[in-house]
Amino acid sequence: MADSHLAEAVRVLRDEVLDTVQHGDRDPPGAEVFEALLRALTIGGESIPGLDLTLHDAVARRLAWGDSEEAVLADAELVFDRLMVSADRAFRDPADQMVVIEAATQVAVTVSRVVALAAVARAGRDRAARMREEMSHQQLKEVLQKQKAALQRLEHELKQDFR
Amino acid sequence: MTQQGSPIRIAGDTHVGKVRTMNEDALILEPRLGLYAVLDGMGGANAGDVASQLARDAIRDFVLQRRAALAPKALLEAALVAGSTAVFTAAQQHRERHGMGTTAVVCLVVDPKHVVIAHVGDSRAYLLREGRLQTLTRDHTIVEDLVERGLLAPEEAERHPYKNVLSRNLGARAEARVDLLELELRPGDRVLLCSDGLYGYASAEAIQYLLGSGDAPEHVTRDLIEIALRGGGGDNVSALVIEAPAAAPSSTQVVRTSGAVTWWQHRQRFLQVASDGGLARNPIVRGLPAQEAIELVALSLCQAIYHDLEKSTGVNVWTFAQNLAAGWFERGGDWNAVRGIVDILGGAARAVVDDIRARDAKLGFLLDVAVSRALIVVELALGGLLAERLRQIDSDLIELHGAALDTVEHDTLETVEPLESGERSIERPGERPSERSIERPGERPSERSIDRFIDRPTIPFLRPERPVTSSGESSEVLGAIAKAITIARGRLSPRAELVAQILVALETVATDSGGNFAAAVLAARELYGVRSVDNAGVMPLFDAFDKARIVAASSVHQVRASPAIRVRVLRALSLAHQRLVAAATGLVLEAVVPFGERLREVQVVTGELREAVARAEQRRADLERKFATIVDPSLPWGARGSTEW
Repeated sequence: MADSHLAEAVRVLRDEVLDTVQHGDRDPPGAEVFEALLRALTIGGESIPGLDLTLHDAVARRLAWGDSEEAVLADAELVFDRLMVSADRAFRDPADQMVVIEAATQVAVTVSRVVALAAVARAGRDRAARMREEMSHQQLKEVLQKQKAALQRLEHELKQDFR
Repeated sequence: MTQQGSPIRIAGDTHVGKVRTMNEDALILEPRLGLYAVLDGMGGANAGDVASQLARDAIRDFVLQRRAALAPKALLEAALVAGSTAVFTAAQQHRERHGMGTTAVVCLVVDPKHVVIAHVGDSRAYLLREGRLQTLTRDHTIVEDLVERGLLAPEEAERHPYKNVLSRNLGARAEARVDLLELELRPGDRVLLCSDGLYGYASAEAIQYLLGSGDAPEHVTRDLIEIALRGGGGDNVSALVIEAPAAAPSSTQVVRTSGAVTWWQHRQRFLQVASDGGLARNPIVRGLPAQEAIELVALSLCQAIYHDLEKSTGVNVWTFAQNLAAGWFERGGDWNAVRGIVDILGGAARAVVDDIRARDAKLGFLLDVAVSRALIVVELALGGLLAERLRQIDSDLIELHGAALDTVEHDTLETVEPLESGERSIERPGERPSERSIERPGERPSERSIDRFIDRPTIPFLRPERPVTSSGESSEVLGAIAKAITIARGRLSPRAELVAQILVALETVATDSGGNFAAAVLAARELYGVRSVDNAGVMPLFDAFDKARIVAASSVHQVRASPAIRVRVLRALSLAHQRLVAAATGLVLEAVVPFGERLREVQVVTGELREAVARAEQRRADLERKFATIVDPSLPWGARGSTEW
């Protein structure tokens, strides 16, 4: 079902769930999670987990701007925790509560998945880069050997000519 | 009456209608002259048909006699004037025919792309182009003249009592003022010449629909007359349809139709050439009877090319090549066999194309291009497959390289720091030798061990004091959680073992009375196990997490409990699930740490090596400078031998 009325009701909880006051005009940490929750509620329960590309994009952008993976996960968890508390208080209808809880879980888990994917991709890049570095070690060592031989020859010739 | 001889298709017919007893309309259908016309006579008893026939004959005769001498427009204008003169003269000679006249709309086909249309009166010419109907002529009626001069609104003209009173016709006087129009025909255009008995009783929409139906002109003519008759048929009805030749089919259309069929008709030739080329001896089909091998491989490709020609795609050929090569490679086959069989099949295809070209050069050329494209698709498919294999080998080599380095590091560690008395190597199940840590008495393991996530005691970014679930749930809620998990497990397929394990872990974490994070971390570690740090290792776990979440959440709705209890069950399971996934993510983050650390270590060594090279280079430059300036400045560098590397 599409829960636009629920999305509106959850939108009211924004200040309660996010630290909006502290951050002024800027998006508070975890805002991307809250926005993703609103989208999930608007689209309805049939949305496929992990397909919220806007959330993927937002998390990727945070990582690209230098936020650590741990910080992203901690923010998502904080928003999730606060939502659990707020939803318990704000919604009297159990059915509404359940919808919000399911959506919030889906979003929080998606953030974890995105972070894990990014970490795994980074590991692959590091592994390939290390291999390249190690190959360059070999080349540099060969160069050093040749340099050493040439230096020895030069020093020898220099001594000969002095005599 | 139908004319099919010329490249332009023409059909015309006339009908007396349902009210009139005599047909005063006349047609000209003269393909030899390229002359076509509709004439609508008028003028009382026995005069209307005479006028139209007189004009018809005069126009036809004039064109026949003067067509070589006059340009098309002048010819047609003069012909209509001749027609008018003939009618006028006849009317003057016979009192009872006084006042007779006729309309005329005449089309002279100069060539298949060029026509000239002349008209006098209210018979019309229409053009249907790309589905749109437009009127080419303007009626020569008094009302229409008033409209043209702005003295009457078009909508008033429709209801005007004199709307059928002609302002011009052939026969009213010896001379006639003729309207002329030259028209360039486009492929598929249709020109309709008709009398007012058609457009007066059939709507423009109906005419457009029938003209655009795509039916043959003779059928269109018949249908047009039929619809006018259904509309009342109060006047004689005449219609003449001229259809410009359709555009030549594109090469794609030719290949899709006749090309594909011709290819398929030559399949036996294809099989024969493939057989002669030694296809049955290729290692890929070794073990199969020759005939079966030919049919299995050659006929399949022949069929794939046929279907791709038919649909202008390459998907069938692509699939064929992929299946053939992938199956062979999976069996451990080598590339040469694939190359050989593709060459044989390519040769067979070219032989077929050559045969077709010998009979039909144009079709052969088109098929040559199309079949060559199909063979390129085969090469591309094989190339893609080879690239995939190379990537796999590359990946395996990287893994081997990493494993070899780990072994070296381990050996180095043992060499540099031999285990002292009392030290012991800690071995864990599923752990590679290099991952084993060394524990010394009186020393905490984390201080000495090689960093591995499995040895880390906590997940650093998570706050251990944060409650996992709302501990102290009532027994009713705990019972409902157990029921929900039982239902969820019952809905799983037996093969979904990981999802089942996650459900068990969820129950454990959700019902943990301690209410701390340890349960989630422990469960996540068990689920994580020993996984490779790549997509293939990690993503199945997260997929299973998602499946478990969905099946658990939907199972909560099936638990027999009050809505309030269900909410608490869902909340507990959701919290547990979030913590479990977060812990697993933490494990992934920990697992990837060594990759970054190792890279940084290696980069430090690279930096040191580069500095050493730079220092040696500096030293060499210094020596050469000294050599040049002190020893013998006059000698060229080359005479001292090369010091390049």
